[in-house]
Amino acid sequence: MSDRAIPVLTVVAGIVALWYAASVWMNATWVFDQAERAGTVVTWAEVVPQTMAQDRPLLPPPHQVAAQLWQGITGQAVTSKRSLVYHGFVTFRGTMLGFGLGIVLGVSLAMAIVRFRVMELSVMPWAIISQTIPIVALAPMILTLSNQLGIDSREVPKAIISAYLSFFPVLVSMVTGLRSPDRIQIDLLATYGASPGQVFWKLRLPASMPYFFASLKVAVAAALIGTIVGELPTGAIEGLGARMLIGSQFGEPLIMWAALFAAAILAGLLILAVGLVERMARARMGVAP
Amino acid sequence: MIWLVGAVVFWGLAWALNVWLAGSRMGQRRAGRIAVATLFGVTILVLWEGLVRGFAVPPVILPGPSVIGPTIATSLPVLWADFVQTVVKGALTGFAIGTAAAFVTAIAIDRSPFLQRGLLPIGNFVSALPIVGLAPILVMWFGFDWQSKAAVVVVMVFFPLLVNMVAGLQATDRLSRDLMATWSASYWQGLFKLRLPAAMPFIFNGLKIAATLALIGAIVAEFFGSPIVGMGFRISTEVGRLGLDMVWATIAVAALSGSAFYGLIAWIESRVTFWHPSQRG
Amino acid sequence: MKKFLSAAVLATLATGAQAQDVTLQLKWVTQAQFAGYYVAEAKGFYDEEGLNVTIKPGGPDIAPTQVIAGGGADVIVEWMPAALAAREKGLPLVNIAQPFKSSGMMLTCLKESGITSPADFADKTLGVWFFGNEYPFLSWMSQLGLATDGSPGGVTVLKQGFNVDPLLQKQAACISTMTYNEYWQVIDAGISPDDLVTFKYQDQGVATMEDGLYVLEENLKDPAFEEKMVKFVRASMKGWKYAEENPDEAAMIVLENDETGAQTESHQKRMMSEVAKLTAGSNGALDPADYERTVASLLSPGSDPVISKAPEGAWTHQISDKALQ
Repeated sequence: MSDRAIPVLTVVAGIVALWYAASVWMNATWVFDQAERAGTVVTWAEVVPQTMAQDRPLLPPPHQVAAQLWQGITGQAVTSKRSLVYHGFVTFRGTMLGFGLGIVLGVSLAMAIVRFRVMELSVMPWAIISQTIPIVALAPMILTLSNQLGIDSREVPKAIISAYLSFFPVLVSMVTGLRSPDRIQIDLLATYGASPGQVFWKLRLPASMPYFFASLKVAVAAALIGTIVGELPTGAIEGLGARMLIGSQFGEPLIMWAALFAAAILAGLLILAVGLVERMARARMGVAP
Repeated sequence: MIWLVGAVVFWGLAWALNVWLAGSRMGQRRAGRIAVATLFGVTILVLWEGLVRGFAVPPVILPGPSVIGPTIATSLPVLWADFVQTVVKGALTGFAIGTAAAFVTAIAIDRSPFLQRGLLPIGNFVSALPIVGLAPILVMWFGFDWQSKAAVVVVMVFFPLLVNMVAGLQATDRLSRDLMATWSASYWQGLFKLRLPAAMPFIFNGLKIAATLALIGAIVAEFFGSPIVGMGFRISTEVGRLGLDMVWATIAVAALSGSAFYGLIAWIESRVTFWHPSQRG
Repeated sequence: MKKFLSAAVLATLATGAQAQDVTLQLKWVTQAQFAGYYVAEAKGFYDEEGLNVTIKPGGPDIAPTQVIAGGGADVIVEWMPAALAAREKGLPLVNIAQPFKSSGMMLTCLKESGITSPADFADKTLGVWFFGNEYPFLSWMSQLGLATDGSPGGVTVLKQGFNVDPLLQKQAACISTMTYNEYWQVIDAGISPDDLVTFKYQDQGVATMEDGLYVLEENLKDPAFEEKMVKFVRASMKGWKYAEENPDEAAMIVLENDETGAQTESHQKRMMSEVAKLTAGSNGALDPADYERTVASLLSPGSDPVISKAPEGAWTHQISDKALQ
């Protein structure tokens, strides 16, 4: 463990040091500008402390972000609207909804594609093209259309956007996975007189599981990106994406940075959780970890 | 009503034709595959048109393809200017800088296993982050024009490519590397003759991910301020003006450029990595 | 008096046993700009009328005109130019009430850019909001004879995001601000008012009507809908007048309704006191003179008029007359 921890910590320390240097450099312009407007002259020794504690820094130093993040997480009850935990949960809920939808869509499409050649020929190219369409271009349209269909919930358009991004990795891996059994294994089942259904349940599906779990890590990250994109310009009501928007609008960079880091923490937790599920599943299926 | 029925009938017929095509010998050939996919795409457009007309959806909610098509034809100069601003200046510049930076970084840390062990987990983590959230901050730093869009793209494509590249450079087996050593190949010879070519499938995998991210980044960044040209600008402005035909025309251009970009990379990949099992199949 | 009141409440409860639902789509995120509606809700003015009002906040990708066209709202808060432009696109919106008497829009410039009058705009970079909010700016520029397409001698327009950074970072000489919001963010950022030059649309004679209530024309023919709107306008105006008189309380009500939890008390209190100056002088009925000025400004003889011909039936006193008796 420590042979990885030390290099990682070194790199992190390097990033933090660079970050401090950059924030002094970037925030200094403002201090000099202010001094010029006030008609005074400041030296670098006076400037540096001032760059560390601005209300609207161009680049807040790490400790300012950390303080804001800590305040957002522990400063109030987790059910309060001011709590980052609450907004993180809203984003988490949207992500899970989109992730679930994406899995269902990805797996069922993959099953149809493996079963019917016509599905593969007609749907697969369009599934690839769908991922090259920038989702943000479609986001406002998804919002309007779901509104038009009488879906009033804010969750649904968000979940659609998030599912749109997360279904694809699942689809691709599942198609590969369902096709991974060798000819010889399929022939063996045929000699046992297995029906196509039995071949599917007893051979193809179990064989595809490692591929499935491998795709989940990618899919959950994509689902989170989709949810944030859905919250950023379309809903702007709750969630981490909405807080980034409000932070931007009211010129409160600290709110933006705190939301950004909260999203990063959420991403980390999600990937950790998916990894855990994967390991448990592998253990149960008897695959060496 | 007639539109609805017509569209559904067309769907049924096209699907039947596709099933037949896919089953026939045509379906094994390239032309047949393209025909099936095209027919499926056309079916979606016909269904769309039929639904819009059948349910009399107002054009300020969802215009049909028959409205969007002429809009594309008549606003080509505007669409072209948007394309140049967002795709060429924003996305492609950012993509070029980001991939070049990732390339150089990967080679720079190649000799230091210590840095690799440190950077790889962080790179993996960062490439899973919702980097799009940085867009408002980068627009604040780099101003309104395409530079800030390119900056968002650089950050978005850098990490996925770096991670793939580092993994790719480690993909050769001991045996091949030892062989290079017995030929007393220098570090650079080993890199260019053995390890870089072997890393190509990984690199192209990263490039393909980066290609789709690049357009998303460039368009999102335009929401937070832009000159009065660009695809993100066009979409958000025209939604406000109820010019939905123009919105969909821009989406069509975005889809087309995204697919073309992806297709180009896939094509180069098939040329460069012709030796790899996935390309021979 | 007390007896009478409770009888009145009982009567409304009896007649409107099932409350009438009204959905209101706001133009932007929850903030004191919309205080009147939140106050009417919180203070029970809507309940007294037997209305069950849902207030939907807006956002950067939410066009109220589109929401109402899709049936997502009964009534929307919108600016007159965007409503008239939508009308020309075939979406017949009608103004039923105008709680904002004056325009709060202005261009705020850094003094160091050398701009002292609108004549100095030429060859400068100006920040503008889009998404339907660009019309007042475009018609002003076209009256000044300044091209906005980037040709020499005109102005360079940039789409500003949702904040005042372009001015602070000196990426633009002037940016669009509202008297009740962005202007104060510039001040908060540490720039003194002496370093700024502002041009209010109101003072330049190019003010267009902001924040009116709009409904679809065909709905107005339905007596039940009309009755609902009369109640809605009456209660909303009561909310606005209450907010004007009690700005701090109104700001706190807005804050409670902000679901992002990112808004601050000081911003909202100040916004409310500035908004109160704009709503003062309106009893809710649209002033035809203001309307004529708006239309004239939008039709202005420049190169790129926002609307091509004077609209008909874009406003009515049908609701406000009954509501304000």
